[in-house]
Amino acid sequence: MADPPSTDDRFERLANLVTFLLDTDKGATFAEILEAIPGYPPGDDSARRAFERDKKLLRDEDIPLVEYDGRYRIPPSEYYLPDLGLTEAEQVALRLAVAAVPLGGGEGGGSALQKLTLGGSEGGSGPTLSLAADLEEHPLLPVLHGAIRRRSLVTFSHGGVARTVEPAMLFFRDGNWYLHGFDRVRSAERNFRVDRIDSSSVAVGDVRSFVRRPSAPSSSEAAMPREPWLIGGDDSSPSESAVVRVDAVLAGKAVAEAGSSASVERHDDGSVTITMPVVQRAAFRSWVLGLLDHAEVVGPPALRGWIVSWLESIAGAGG
Amino acid sequence: MARSNFAERLRRMLMMVPWVLEAGGSTVAELAARFGVSEDDVVRDLNLVMCCGVPPYGAEHMISVMLDDDGTVLAWKGPYFNRPMRLTPTEGFAVLAAGRALLDVPGADSAALGGALSKLESALGSGSVSVDLGAPPFLSLVRDAVESGARLSVSYYSAWRDEVTSRSIDPWLVFSQEGRWYVTALDASSGEVRHFRVDRLRSAAATGETFVVPGGVRPPPRVFSGGQDTTEVELDLPPSARWVVETYPAVSVDELADGRLQVRLAVTGERWLERLLLRVGPEARVLSPPSLTHVAPTAATRLLARYTAP
Repeated sequence: MADPPSTDDRFERLANLVTFLLDTDKGATFAEILEAIPGYPPGDDSARRAFERDKKLLRDEDIPLVEYDGRYRIPPSEYYLPDLGLTEAEQVALRLAVAAVPLGGGEGGGSALQKLTLGGSEGGSGPTLSLAADLEEHPLLPVLHGAIRRRSLVTFSHGGVARTVEPAMLFFRDGNWYLHGFDRVRSAERNFRVDRIDSSSVAVGDVRSFVRRPSAPSSSEAAMPREPWLIGGDDSSPSESAVVRVDAVLAGKAVAEAGSSASVERHDDGSVTITMPVVQRAAFRSWVLGLLDHAEVVGPPALRGWIVSWLESIAGAGG
Repeated sequence: MARSNFAERLRRMLMMVPWVLEAGGSTVAELAARFGVSEDDVVRDLNLVMCCGVPPYGAEHMISVMLDDDGTVLAWKGPYFNRPMRLTPTEGFAVLAAGRALLDVPGADSAALGGALSKLESALGSGSVSVDLGAPPFLSLVRDAVESGARLSVSYYSAWRDEVTSRSIDPWLVFSQEGRWYVTALDASSGEVRHFRVDRLRSAAATGETFVVPGGVRPPPRVFSGGQDTTEVELDLPPSARWVVETYPAVSVDELADGRLQVRLAVTGERWLERLLLRVGPEARVLSPPSLTHVAPTAATRLLARYTAP
């Protein structure tokens, strides 16, 4: 076996290879590459193996090495970042965002900024933070994001069930990332918690393997209402109008959580009466009991009776 | 996955050359600081890169970067590496998600950030990323107080104890973790630094006093990780209560053959446990400690009194 090249030799060979493949318009064959780039080991088999390793390394680095009819090239239009024309204010805003919301470790926002803001004047220490956000990271996020951008069908196992999904949106809510898309098996729009997708089961299909549906939601709110008691009902689910009295201690919190579909009547003692649509009773019950003694379901009588039965069953369970 | 030495160096070189060009020149020291490597590494890489190009490797065919003896690095507009590489999927997602997150927060420079994001999205292809961090009522006020160093007088609802207390705080940093907003603040009454949930502020107003935020304040790795004042509670939960272990950090979880869960949780207050058990329902049981086995029936009876009062 030939001696492995020194790290400097291989680095030089790779730098020459990238430059050469960017420079060639019509692509270069393996033989032409061997002739142009010094540093490949003698012997066809050894050279081929070394070239295959180089190809893999470039592709692992997301360098767009394309192969067509036995010819290789790196199309400049796919390699270079287009000039985004970011203004100084936009560069500052992005820098602050990446500092406040660090994602992807050293390979994420930081290296993106090196590319995007280029010769920005700030040093490496970063701005002083007044605000920060921790978005849970998951290795599938860039993969799913790529599938949305390229309109590639995604198959995966979610909670043990096989799914084939036209991915439409990734959104972050209450500490979790969700993929929204059209589930072809269920023939319906669905939300999938990303951390419940079995990573080893994920397969991404061809580019442009589906047409974006007009029904795809335009916002995360449309994909999944913020209020869990509004989720889960199909069009035929009856919605009831719950009336809840909340005392002054938790009135502000309850009003904020009840959302924009609720109406609020304020009382002199600081308490409120909230009237809110409910599709899913269990989620509503969970919310209202979380307010403990500070809230009481006033009506309608059937809903109030249902809450009373639940409490009675818990009170009785202690006997 | 750790990158190989070659990949690391190649990537650095591909980023460094356009960076120097855009910056109108640089120095070995500056490049070492910016790219997080030693000055020796920078010199070694640049010496190699200056010899790279395409056949016939004449002056006009080489990568257009030069290292001077005094450590000055110059680049000029040649045929290659005039512009940075496209963003990788990880980079693209990281910067878009970060931008979307901040755009959702009241008080961000939304015009500049929004402009940057739409330029980015048009270059990356529209990728539909949305970050919904929520905006509890006093978030803007608290954030402004951090930026201006304004002491706040607040009333705060403690969910652990189900009580409202008044205090004066110096807010240092606002942060979102696990989907909730917190403010790290010096509590003037106790002299302790604490993390308060912003959605539990019942009122907040500037006192007129000011303070200086100490440098280097960063969010904690996890706000809640148990503590000295916690009690370990063992619960027997029905299969439908799996959300409990997905929502709260459990000390241990055992799944039984029938799907029921035996869970040990570190609990800080009885009110918190009440809230949890009332939500799970009659099938939940506290196994230990014995002093807490009647928490749920007692709480349910207390709440029922509201409903049955004349």
